[in-house]
This record gives sequence, structure tokens and C-alpha cells, in this order.
Amino acid sequence: MPDQNAIMAATKSFILSEFLEGEDPDELTEDVELISSGILDSLATLKLVTHLENTYDIKIEAHEADEDNLNTLVDIAKLVASKL
Amino acid sequence: MDFSWTKQQTELRDAIRAFARGSLNEGLVERDREGIFNRAGWDACAKMGIHGLCVPEEYGGLGFDALTTVGALEALGEGSRDNGLSFSINAHMWTAEMPLLAFGTPEQKAKYLPRLVSGEWIGGNAMSEPGSGSDAYSLRTTAIRQGDHYVLNGSKTFISNGNVADLLLVFATVDPAKGARGVSAFLVEKGTSGLQVGKKLDKMGMRTSPMAELFFDDLRVPVENRLGKEGAGKNLFTDSMTWERGCILAPAVGAMQRLLDACLAYSRQRKQFGESIGNFQLVASKLVDMKLRVETARSLLYQAAWKKDQGKSIFLEAALAKLWISESWVACAQEAIQIHGGYGYMTEYEIERELRDATGSKLYSGTSEIQRTIIAPLLSV
Repeated sequence: MPDQNAIMAATKSFILSEFLEGEDPDELTEDVELISSGILDSLATLKLVTHLENTYDIKIEAHEADEDNLNTLVDIAKLVASKL
Repeated sequence: MDFSWTKQQTELRDAIRAFARGSLNEGLVERDREGIFNRAGWDACAKMGIHGLCVPEEYGGLGFDALTTVGALEALGEGSRDNGLSFSINAHMWTAEMPLLAFGTPEQKAKYLPRLVSGEWIGGNAMSEPGSGSDAYSLRTTAIRQGDHYVLNGSKTFISNGNVADLLLVFATVDPAKGARGVSAFLVEKGTSGLQVGKKLDKMGMRTSPMAELFFDDLRVPVENRLGKEGAGKNLFTDSMTWERGCILAPAVGAMQRLLDACLAYSRQRKQFGESIGNFQLVASKLVDMKLRVETARSLLYQAAWKKDQGKSIFLEAALAKLWISESWVACAQEAIQIHGGYGYMTEYEIERELRDATGSKLYSGTSEIQRTIIAPLLSV
């Protein structure tokens, strides 16, 4: 079972390849705001949720797919880890 | 992979199809002409359990899964030619009941869901505004917190069930500067001071499904009637729209099957040049195309519902289903008119209405263009 660090690393890799192609990976730190900064727009958020559900075989409830739970890599890792 | 229905599912579908065929079609030409909502039909559908197909039994529903539900709604659309009534029921289910289930407090669910499931109350969803359609989150209706109330001001348009609804899910922004993150949802009951229902909107098709404008003039909504957190409106709307896109056209698949059956019967019975018109390859090829559209539309519908039942999000599958079923429904209706020739163009034959009803499906719940805009990035284009 992956720990939060592993989830963060894998999610960072996904976000870099899908939404931040060509950007410096070092700038995507664990506390960078993804939704409130606009890195993840509505459609990108849907894509991230689908990716997390498929990768970790979890269900992210509708009320969880928001800024409170998906805004940083730390938030995402906590949410995913809580469901494993 | 098992494509068959269980005995219970088959019996449910057969019962709903027979009920709809026998109870919902009389007087439809006149209701369509006058734009009359069939309230008696609404109540009869509620008694059949249709309004609560996928609502848990604790709220009076039947508690079926999504696949069984869309299968039942497909049967409704196959038996009933009143596409407007089916549309009103679906709007009620996917844009009022389901958001309540997903985001409601126990008190909100206990108060509203039994009334919606029983059909006593009609639900509606108020998002679109004169200046915001596809760009939904640019809405301008405001909700300002004042003590234990929110005060709503603004207007909405194209609201399905708007003039008959007892409960409206109204979207407004608590802070326009926050953009989509300021959008919140509120449960507004009919008769609340400050809620004005505008004129009934006259439209091309789905004329038996009522639609109206709404106006909010210092409409006071108790804080306990906010659905979800403040600012959760976007999240809630995304969830509601995903259900809607995935399932609202289940009756349309049934309607397409009904059109195909009618065309097959007509092609056998109608003689020209001394033989059935179905023997002419140009007619037969239209029937083949219709069959292909019905089957592929059905597959996408079932796939979206099945995946939902597996506990997965269906953003892609719902958009694919919405896009293909709506475009297939329009194409099938056009072919049905062509096969019926001049008779298909006549109101009394009840084929031309299908095209008028189908056309709106490429607009509501996100236009075909919006569906493609959703699908493309989900393919990592």
C-alpha cells in the first residue's frame, strides 16, 4: 500500500505530464495551490479525479472533489491515503 | 461480461413499458399543441415508483442501482410518446433528487426527498441565466448572507419545471470576485416571498414539459436551506450534471426504439411500385442506420450507468452518452420522417413531434459542442 509520500510523488508526475508539460518540476512543491491558482481548471480536476480513482481503485465522492481536498499535493495524498 | 437483464429487471421494464403505453399517450397531440403538462400522468408515474427509482427506500424510493434505473427509464420512453413528461421526470430526478442525496443534510433529505419521490412535490434546477448558459459559472444572481438568511437577487431562464416546481435548487454567487468558487446552491420552496415565476416559455419541442423564467427580488432563504458548503455550488453542479448527462436521455433510447419499430412496421405495410417500401435498398439502409444508432446509444447509456454502479466517476462516459444519444435521436427522427414521407410530416401521425422533441437534447445538459469540449481533454488530446 503506497504511503502519502509515494502518492504525492506519483500525483506530481501525473500533473506535470498532463497539465504542466515543460515546466520545472522543482517548482511544483507539495504546497503549491493547484485549484485556487488555476493550474487545475474544472476539466483538469475531473481528469485528476478519474486518474486517482483508476490508479488507486478508490471512489472520490462528489462532495470531496473540491478545493478543500484537492488543492495541494499534500491534500490529495491525504485524501487518497484515507481511502486505502 | 453479461449483457442480460435479471428476471426482476425484465419484469420492472415490462411493467413500466406497458403502463406508459396504456396510460400516458392519450390526448398527447392536443397537449403538445397547447403546451400542457400532464400532471395526472406525473402522479401516475410517481405511483409506479418512477420518481424514486434510484432513491433509497428510507426516503420512499425503490433503491435501485443506476443501471436498473436507466433500464426502467428507457422502458418509460419506449412506452410513452410524451417525451416532455419523461423529460420533466428526469429533470426532477437528476437535478433535484440526486443533488439532495449527494449533498443534503439528514434534515434536508428527510424533509424533501419523500415529497419528491411521492410526486407530491415537483423539483427543478435553476442555473441558466440570460447571460450565462454554457459559461454557467459566470452567473450573476447573488446571495448575500444576512444573519441566519441569505438574500438572493437576480434572474434565471430556461428553467425546466420552473412554473410548476414546488422546490427549486437555485445557484447563486456569495462573492462574484471568487468566480466559480463563490457559487453556492440553495433550496427554495414555492411561494417564498421574493420568488417570482415569470411567463411560461413557448418552445419548439418538449412542449408538454413546462419551462419558465424565475426572478429573485430580495428572496430570503434560511441558512439551513443552503445545499452543501458555501462555495460548493460548482462541485454540486458538476456532480448533478454528470448524473444528468449520463442518464437523462435514457427515455430517448426508448423513444428511438419506438421510432425504429414504427418505421419497420410502416416499411412492411406501405406499398409503392407494387411492393413494400422496405424492399427498396434506400429505405432498408435507413432502417439499418437507425438500428445501429439505437444499439450504440443503448450501449453508451448502459456503460455509463454500469460504471457509476462500480463506484467510479463517469465524467467521460456521461459526456459520450449525452453526445451520442442526442445526436442519434435527432438523426433517427429525421429518418423516421423520411421513411413515412408526407405522412411523417403530418401532426396526426406523431412522427414530426419526435424531431421537435429530439432537437432540444443537443442543447440542454450541455450542448453537443460542450460535450466534445469535455471529452477531448479527458482523452489527453
